[in-house]
Amino acid sequence: MSRAWPEHTRILVVEDDLPTARIIQARLEMEGLEVLVAGNGIEALDLLQREDVSLITTDLMMPAMNGFRLVQEVRDQPPPKGRIPILLISSNQNEQDMVRCLAAGADDYMTKPISAQVLVERLWRLFERSRRGG
Amino acid sequence: MIIRPVDLPEGLLLQILLWATVILIGLVGALILFGAAIQFRRDRQNRHRIACFKDWEVRLAEHLFRGGHEQGPFGEIPDPDRWLFRGFLFRYQATLAGREAEILRDLYLDLGIHTSLPERLQSRQARRRAEAAREVGAFHLTGFFALLPPLLRDPVPFVAHRAAQALTRSQDLAYAGPVMDWVLREDRYQRERLLRVLEGFGPDLLPWLDAHLPDPGTDPEPWIIFALLAGSRRHRESQPRLLELLTIARLDLQVSVLKALAALADPTTYGRVLPLAGHGAWEIRAQAARALGVLGGPEAIPDLLRLAGDPVYEVRRNAAQGLADLGHAGAAALGWLAEDPTADPFARDMAQERLEWADERGHL
Repeated sequence: MSRAWPEHTRILVVEDDLPTARIIQARLEMEGLEVLVAGNGIEALDLLQREDVSLITTDLMMPAMNGFRLVQEVRDQPPPKGRIPILLISSNQNEQDMVRCLAAGADDYMTKPISAQVLVERLWRLFERSRRGG
Repeated sequence: MIIRPVDLPEGLLLQILLWATVILIGLVGALILFGAAIQFRRDRQNRHRIACFKDWEVRLAEHLFRGGHEQGPFGEIPDPDRWLFRGFLFRYQATLAGREAEILRDLYLDLGIHTSLPERLQSRQARRRAEAAREVGAFHLTGFFALLPPLLRDPVPFVAHRAAQALTRSQDLAYAGPVMDWVLREDRYQRERLLRVLEGFGPDLLPWLDAHLPDPGTDPEPWIIFALLAGSRRHRESQPRLLELLTIARLDLQVSVLKALAALADPTTYGRVLPLAGHGAWEIRAQAARALGVLGGPEAIPDLLRLAGDPVYEVRRNAAQGLADLGHAGAAALGWLAEDPTADPFARDMAQERLEWADERGHL
């Protein structure tokens, strides 16, 4: 599967578990993506103010500000930042949480454990959809 | 005869004091040295661990994602670091699935420590038993799952918990019975938390439970877990069984079933829930009030208004919450109730409180 990510496509990985963040970062960098890492929602919002990112992938359960709240905060921002595609990753398989997150404005949802290949594929689809203005 | 200090010769007394001081100083010094040595050893271990993890992190990314596993082995792990490497692999097993999870498993098997699992699962140290159980589940060691059920009766709770988690990761429903029995042996207030463990068996668990649990009329306890699981997973196929369970006159079971029916949110079950709004037990009325709001939509308003005047606070609160959740129609009913001078004063207060609650959260 060929994925032609435009040069300098930047993705924000929000994850409080550092080993997980680093392994996701390593896989995404292999794709040629530029990766920024934030440890919780507050750090992520701070980074979003300063940097332009094309995609966000966030954990659901995090200290200080969880993924659900982060999605709400991002969606409350004016475009283009308010429209950045967001993929939620959680270890929680609770259907109610999934529905709640999607209703809050997340574009997709994955539960851990995740296949790195599936993660990249989903991010690519989200990116393509947002590029086409979908 | 008692010898008093004053009877001792002065020189001897001085000598005793001197030696006692020397011994005390020696003891304190030895204690300080011993503490410093322990701290030094710990610091050295930590530095070693951090250095190893940093090195392995880079190598693992190469190995997993850049075809490193196809080009050759991960690299040598010295014998003293094998347990450290196991801990390192643990950090990723809950995150990675698919091909990467298989590679992690191969890395673990290459260490060769799995051969000591039977012995470690029976270790006298609880931590060793728990870690061994965790290994079996984390790296999906099929041949060792059969050794775990006895640990479900381990006197140390976290060992039993680890064993249950590992068994659910097998996804083998042959172990669902023993794990269910373990959940039922736990205190009732713990059970809802343990649902997460049971959920590890995956989507086939509920049909299995439905087919294998004992008759709910004689033993309703496991069915409480069934109902809570069906609600948590929103398992629509379990609804006929839930409606059947609703007719069994057992308070805890009916409360759990009402919670599940509210989660399933099927409006056709409204008529089955409504009679329970007049039940003698307030716990059932409270749960019925919550369910009616979800199941009935705006048509539930008259029933919820009636429940908003219930003598029990929890029932009134749930009824008012149900109205607030209905949006504008429910809020209008709450507003009407809050201003009705003929209404029950408790119901009026509750309506006012819920209106303020909904307004603060922007629900109105």
